[in-house]
Amino acid sequence: MPSPEPKSKILVIDDEEQIRRALKSILGSRGYEVLLASGGVVGLDMAIDSTPDLVILDLAMPDMGGLEVCRELRTWFEAPILVLSVRSSDAEKIEALDAGADDYLTKPFSAGELLARIRALLRRAGGRAVPAPVVSAGDIEIDIAHRRVTRCGEDVDLTKTEFEILALLARNADCVVTSRMILQTVWGEEYADDTQTLRVHISHLRKKVEPHASVPRYILTEPGVGFRFSTH
Amino acid sequence: MAWFRGLCEKHGYVFAALCIAVSTLVFIPGRDYFAKGQWALMYLPIIVLVAGMSGVRPALLASLLAFLAWDFFFLPPYHTLIVSDPKDWISLVVFLIIAVVMGLQTGRMKDRESMALAREREATLLNRFSSHLVSQTTLAGMAEMLLQEVCGATGAENAALYLRKENGELFRAATHRVGGDGIETSSALGIAEWAGRESKAVGLPSTRRMGKETESWPVSIDAETLGHADERGIFLPLHTEESMEGVLYVGPRRDGHSFSVHDARLLISIANQATAYLERRRLTGIASQAEALKESDRLKSAFVRSVSHELKTPLASVTATVTGLLEDDANWDHEAVREELSAISQDLDRLNDSIGSLLDLSRLEADAWVAQKDWYELGEILGTTVSRISAKQRHRIEFALPEDLPPIYVDFAQLSRALENLLENALAYSPESESVYVGAADSRDGVRIWVEDHGEGIPDDEKARIFEKFYRGKSAEKVPSGTGLGLVIAKEIVRYQGGTISVTDAKPHGARFTIFIPKERQENR
Repeated sequence: MPSPEPKSKILVIDDEEQIRRALKSILGSRGYEVLLASGGVVGLDMAIDSTPDLVILDLAMPDMGGLEVCRELRTWFEAPILVLSVRSSDAEKIEALDAGADDYLTKPFSAGELLARIRALLRRAGGRAVPAPVVSAGDIEIDIAHRRVTRCGEDVDLTKTEFEILALLARNADCVVTSRMILQTVWGEEYADDTQTLRVHISHLRKKVEPHASVPRYILTEPGVGFRFSTH
Repeated sequence: MAWFRGLCEKHGYVFAALCIAVSTLVFIPGRDYFAKGQWALMYLPIIVLVAGMSGVRPALLASLLAFLAWDFFFLPPYHTLIVSDPKDWISLVVFLIIAVVMGLQTGRMKDRESMALAREREATLLNRFSSHLVSQTTLAGMAEMLLQEVCGATGAENAALYLRKENGELFRAATHRVGGDGIETSSALGIAEWAGRESKAVGLPSTRRMGKETESWPVSIDAETLGHADERGIFLPLHTEESMEGVLYVGPRRDGHSFSVHDARLLISIANQATAYLERRRLTGIASQAEALKESDRLKSAFVRSVSHELKTPLASVTATVTGLLEDDANWDHEAVREELSAISQDLDRLNDSIGSLLDLSRLEADAWVAQKDWYELGEILGTTVSRISAKQRHRIEFALPEDLPPIYVDFAQLSRALENLLENALAYSPESESVYVGAADSRDGVRIWVEDHGEGIPDDEKARIFEKFYRGKSAEKVPSGTGLGLVIAKEIVRYQGGTISVTDAKPHGARFTIFIPKERQENR
């Protein structure tokens, strides 16, 4: 396991003490510097004072809703935001992603899941400096730098758009990538709402890279949100 | 011919007088050709005719008239009632006796015959009515049939049925009209209320009486006088000893006549049957409501019992393990601690599953899980679903989806949850060496999706019960986890999407769960 980015600073905003304590011990023991905030207002102040590398934000908080905090943060804050949600608040989760959150975790989650998401988000944030050269999952391998995709060792012929979508998903492997983000990155800002076009391309992409003709294993749909490239 | 008989019956006395008058006029010109005594004999068949057509009383009138006519026109001196020959007195008396006796005999026969006919008609009608009543499952059907029969049997031009609402007020449940203008609604309801409250039959007086007797309007009538009531319509309360079920309104006869005694008796019989039907229906309703309440109570307590069991078992296990680890007197090596912790982790997973299932179920039951439908490929739903299943089990799942399966209009998260539950069950209830198959087929009416395992299968007597809350099949003991809610949630979700879920046997053994998502529903939304 590669060691985490040295001393990445993570701000945890959650009103529940147990969760803060658990996160502190999990993250602290992995070498991260952990800051704890017990509410939205305090959290925003701490973010301004300490400019963390990543924020973990609980959506359900009494003083200031997580959604609001997220919007507020995004006015100036560029580092990743990981949102914590509960099972029954799918709609809120989607709103948070729209408001600029980068990924979400549903409570309860395991330490392994949490750390994987954090690593992926930090990698994505620092991605321009250290591009992930090769992403592999099962029998497919995506060499982003050389724009090459192979399945069982054989080249897969992708169009430019298809490759860019796949590369974006692969760079954010195991993280959700919103439809809006894909559209903005691949097509440009003015196409941000054209989800239908995206679906058609995703469908073609799946036909080319997925081992099973109709049941995707790598490029998974996150309903209402976007897509996720799964390496598990 | 029947109308003529009817006329003779109705106006028997007129008919009798007419018969004697006409025959006398016919007889007079032949007065001199026959002996005076023979004319008496000539009258006898006429009397028999009257008796046969109109019954006893008109026959008696005919006898008396014939007696007078014979005396007046045929016994000298003519055109007086004086009889010159004393022997003729004896003939007269004997004639009267014979005429009366014949009239009585024939008339009685006639009366019996028509009564028997009426009874038979009545019995047939009531029979038909009661058999129809039994076959009626809806109140509307029953009301329609009742009113039709009433109009048919009594010749009423219209009829209406008033039933009680929950608050006891009456409302007009159905009307039937053969002819006429019908009845004014607002006043009719008032009279119906009154008839129902007083448990008295009420008649609307005929128009010609109404002007004079406005003060006693409406007129209360009892069952005995019903037949002779000269009314525009009758309100009959449908009441039993304890309750009033409604009011039956019978409009005036189409031919303008008042109801006969037979009609009245028939009406009362029909009303009684209808009352019994309505009462039985109401009581059954009350009984089944009570039954449903009891059942729901029973389910609730079973629910609470199962919930506390589902939640407390893993919690108890975690508590025991953790407190055990915290005890000072035991020596735990690193490996043993890991083992205990992984057991705790499993218990917590189970606890999370249970709570999640309960949450899903209560959201579904409270309609709080708002479906967000869109068009999706079944394959992408399955892909996301399978990614949530542990990697260890995932390879056992095999897919057989047709390439050209059309997209389906569903809530992704919900259908995914239903499929996940079916898949988890299929994996848990079949041996590790067996695959689990997921298939789908498109048809004109909708899309079928099935999950099939080759485990032991589900016995026929359990097939219906497995969709009940917390029911776990007999083979469930071999399966450690499971909340007994998976199939209930799947069923609720599928129902919520407008579809159905069913279970059949797989070949050679095992179970196949099929979700059906109808098409026309999809396109309408």
